[in-house]
Amino acid sequence: MLTMLEEVVLLAVDENSGALRSTRPYGTAYALVGAVFFDLALARKIDTDTERIQILDRNPTGSTTLDRVLAAMAQRGDITSVRQWIEEIFSRRDDLEGEALASLIRQGILRHEKSKRLWIIDVERFPMADNRPQRDVRVRLAETILSDTIPETRDIMLVSLADSCGLLGYVLSSEQIARRRERIELLSNLETISRKVAVAIGDLEDSVRQGLPRMM
Amino acid sequence: MIQVNEETRGDWRIVTVAGRADGEAADALEAALRSAVEANARVVADFSGLTYISSASLRSVLQAARAAQTRGSEFAICGLNQFVKEVFETTGLHRLLRIYGELPC
Repeated sequence: MLTMLEEVVLLAVDENSGALRSTRPYGTAYALVGAVFFDLALARKIDTDTERIQILDRNPTGSTTLDRVLAAMAQRGDITSVRQWIEEIFSRRDDLEGEALASLIRQGILRHEKSKRLWIIDVERFPMADNRPQRDVRVRLAETILSDTIPETRDIMLVSLADSCGLLGYVLSSEQIARRRERIELLSNLETISRKVAVAIGDLEDSVRQGLPRMM
Repeated sequence: MIQVNEETRGDWRIVTVAGRADGEAADALEAALRSAVEANARVVADFSGLTYISSASLRSVLQAARAAQTRGSEFAICGLNQFVKEVFETTGLHRLLRIYGELPC
């Protein structure tokens, strides 16, 4: 089973060109931090309430990315709020996207191609080696949003991450998204991690719009 | 740590949950609620003795409700204290679950 981080990065890969895409570039880095926290929560390594985050189990998960974040959290007992931890991991500028892509390549889902544009600019693409996992993610995402049933936990997390990264438009039409916006907001609000990621993205986008240096 | 008790009243199976529903209690909570949902057509979780609920336990409650929905059975919650009620309202879970002030039976 793919991690939430791998699923959202896989969703960002254009199935035709292998290029990475997002309509919310500023939000994506925060959303990927949220994905790592979701993976740690699903592995029962951390838990949250409406504000705070708590480590339940410091034993490694076996995932390099998750274990690095878990180890960092274990060393910083002074940070207890979800928002602070999102900012802390965000500020480390870990290449979460690159780590997820590398894992997807190792699993035989993506290939890695490098080429030159105008003989100078390096262009990286990640064509599908196996398009079934992305198709599965897309189907789950669409069904979760378009139905009115109670979703599985992973699918609730997937909706909030895809929305934060601006990826819903690659799966659903604008009309479908507009018609189901209330449902998307409802599902995205269920998880504390999603709510705090949304606030962090909103603050960052406000800073960018105002052209001000972002205050950490 | 949570304490779980069950009884039948009329056509309702009542699952009474007390204590702290934190990350370590989430599996036990989901197992108790799912077991009740799988064996009964109408289940109400009485949370009047619940002092705290974390995200992991909220997921457990929601997945029990999902199991009930899949089976076509009824699942409700009652007796939320102010703290737990605020958590349900903050997350919006009250919009997905049937919540009573008191036991419906």
